[in-house]
Amino acid sequence: MNEYIIEMTDITKNFGTVKAVQDGQFNLKKGEIHSLIGENGAGKSTMMKILYGIYPNDSGTIKIRGEEITNITPKIAIEHQIGMVHQEFMLVKELTVLENIILGFEPKKKITIDFDKARKEIQKYIDTYNMDIQLNKRINQISVGEAQRVEIIKTLYRGAEIVILDEPTAVLTPQECVKFFEILNNMKADGKSIVFISHKLNEVMEISDRITVMRQGKFVDTVNKKDTNTAELAKMMVGREVFLNVEKKKSKVGNTILKVDNLWTSGEKELSKIRGASLEVKEGEIVGIAGIDGNGQSELIEAITGLRKVEKGTVTLEGINITNLSPLKIRKAGVTHIPEDRNLRGLNKGMTIMDNLVAVKVDKKPFANGIAQDKKAIQNFSEELIKKFDIRPNNPSALAQALSGGNAQKIVVAREIDADGKLLIASQPTRGVDIGAIESIRKILNDVKAKGKGILLVSSDLEEILSLSDRIIVMYEGRITGTMNAEDANENNIGMLMMGGNPEDAKKSAMRGDGTLL
Amino acid sequence: MKSSNKYINLLLTTLVSILIGAVIMLALGYNPIEAYIQLFKGAFVGKLNFGTTLQKFTPLLLTSIAFVISSRVGVSNVGVEGELYLGAIAAAWVGFTFKGVPGPILILLCLIVAIIIGAAWAYIPGSLRAYLGVNEVCVTILMNYVAIYITSYLVNGPLSAKTGVPQTPTIAEGAKLAKILKPSQASAGLFIAIAVVIIIYWILQKSTIGYKFTSVGLNPMYAQYVGISPQKTMINAMLLSGAVGGLAGALEVLGTYGYFLDNFSSGIAFDGMLAALIVKNDIKMVPFMAFFLAVLKSGALGMERYTGIPKSIVDTIIAIFIIFATMEDLFAFVQKRKAKKSEAATSGQN
Repeated sequence: MNEYIIEMTDITKNFGTVKAVQDGQFNLKKGEIHSLIGENGAGKSTMMKILYGIYPNDSGTIKIRGEEITNITPKIAIEHQIGMVHQEFMLVKELTVLENIILGFEPKKKITIDFDKARKEIQKYIDTYNMDIQLNKRINQISVGEAQRVEIIKTLYRGAEIVILDEPTAVLTPQECVKFFEILNNMKADGKSIVFISHKLNEVMEISDRITVMRQGKFVDTVNKKDTNTAELAKMMVGREVFLNVEKKKSKVGNTILKVDNLWTSGEKELSKIRGASLEVKEGEIVGIAGIDGNGQSELIEAITGLRKVEKGTVTLEGINITNLSPLKIRKAGVTHIPEDRNLRGLNKGMTIMDNLVAVKVDKKPFANGIAQDKKAIQNFSEELIKKFDIRPNNPSALAQALSGGNAQKIVVAREIDADGKLLIASQPTRGVDIGAIESIRKILNDVKAKGKGILLVSSDLEEILSLSDRIIVMYEGRITGTMNAEDANENNIGMLMMGGNPEDAKKSAMRGDGTLL
Repeated sequence: MKSSNKYINLLLTTLVSILIGAVIMLALGYNPIEAYIQLFKGAFVGKLNFGTTLQKFTPLLLTSIAFVISSRVGVSNVGVEGELYLGAIAAAWVGFTFKGVPGPILILLCLIVAIIIGAAWAYIPGSLRAYLGVNEVCVTILMNYVAIYITSYLVNGPLSAKTGVPQTPTIAEGAKLAKILKPSQASAGLFIAIAVVIIIYWILQKSTIGYKFTSVGLNPMYAQYVGISPQKTMINAMLLSGAVGGLAGALEVLGTYGYFLDNFSSGIAFDGMLAALIVKNDIKMVPFMAFFLAVLKSGALGMERYTGIPKSIVDTIIAIFIIFATMEDLFAFVQKRKAKKSEAATSGQN
């Protein structure tokens, strides 16, 4: 018998002139966790969307359980027991968890929906895989991690034996990740086959049985986990050696640039999200703010940059009070800012690359004479930045929405670095970008530091904080729970502060160099 | 490739709606070919007819552009009609009050006052939307009634010419714009309108003001972050939109009527808004669409006169037109199916 339940051979897929997949090979054994990895735009998601029938493939064959299937649609895929959890959740926010799961596949009792039967059936999955979900809550009342579990149950409820997970961990905190991997292992033990799409190598090494690497739409190799390591995988993904841990050089630390004193501000939902935060950034240093997402880092940065109202306390830049000034005035004072969400704030996706690059200088000469724009000057300027920061495609008139995550982020970075402020606030600068771009963005941040500017770095990636920062601040529930020099910090003591551990204990364990309490 | 598709789609929708109009005429027992010939003649043949088309075109052009301006910042200014009325009565008041002022200066004064009044009226929904998030569509629709009733009160009361007809006294001779294509009602206002549209085009496409409008319209959070105030930009766009609306009203008074007549517009600005909506606020196409609607409107008179077909049939055609234009996806769907079929055919050969 055939050992593979899925075989995808010689798949190609073009979107217009873009060759999304040129040589796609993928197979799946029953009961394995198979990771599909590659940089953004390598064609991982496209391959799986072809399998799930969202896109038709241009050529190549797909066999499910040895039987060749053509013209797959999601309906046919579901009939063949394939389920997919997308990057963006497909849930109806206003309905309850239970209603979402059975939507479209409701068990009927004459003309009414048999909720009891559905509940019993779903409870079976919850128990089997140890998934913690509350069936009666509405989707907008539950966390992202829980919503993801709902998505998984939804596929299982529809009879999926093969579950495709498209970058599932991108939205999870480290703690949720641990729980999530437990669930995956439970599913595997139950005989389900899982496709895990990711570009985070350490996760892939933790969870997979086999790993398939793709690069620029092409199949590179399929390897067993036990025969490989992260360095080798990274090399296969990027096509060359990668150096993520840039050597940390001490710069000359000078005067204080940014001083935040006893700052209070409110969040979207809670009043007083930030309660009395104080910090300093000096010339020539990178101050990293560590913390699990949602512990007030975003609000703190928004308050400093004028995007959120400061209720109490002061923000000063080189001795000048910039508290509650307009974002424009704060920029003029010398603050540049890479925002945490490039899609929401960092970019105008409907505008061209050059319009995005010139945004903060749009009123300045030579880009404007009075109110008349000088398109030629803007174009020349953009071409220069595109070359300098290696943005692809290199056409300044291309729309920003056509770019991959890494290149889109490079536009934001290019614009903010070029603005040449005194202080650079970099919020999640490498979130959702590929390894090559991570490498170059980290290098850029170090260059900025070497020039004697101050950098305030926010990242939920602890490894990034540790490898870049000179000083580290930890935030937990809107408060700063600890500050330490990079030399004293390690994953354990920072991690403990991130989860609300006692700062004193953390310090002691820092001295002992381990993560244990007491 | 994509933009040429857009034009083809528009052409297709035009043909289809004219065809459906023909079917309706047939069903009502009229000869559609005769009707369309008369419609064409009524719009183009003869000075009077062509002049009437141009006369109708002028306010349609300006009001459609007014709608396009506010749409740039993602605000729908449905209140252009109100701004048009207020601009018109303001211009009329200046025109018949300051009779001593020499002609060209008086014209300029009329236009400026109308522009200020129009902009001020649009400022109200603009600032409500920008600072308090109040839905501008509701506010502008309701404010239209307020504006129209204000003018109605004025023209029946304090500003009445006291002739029994609800209209203001005639404006000074010097304030009247030169007529073109006599004996039609068309005036040199057309050239003012075209000049204004060219200026607006430049502002929207080539200036930092237009850049800011587009930034805010596409992503206000981004605009705020790069230092463009979404609130101020929204209000600026509404001021400009209202100003153009007020100007449209003033040109009607100075060019067409010579006085303010109660209820003179009967929905010009709404037709202008439709012209903008049909072409999805594409500023390059809006003038053509406004002209096309003007042709239909003025040709309908001739059609009714010579064939007896009620001119409301033209409104039906316009309505069908809008339905189809907003159903662009229908044609996209047909094209997709065709593409699929041809794809299947070629892959079959392989």
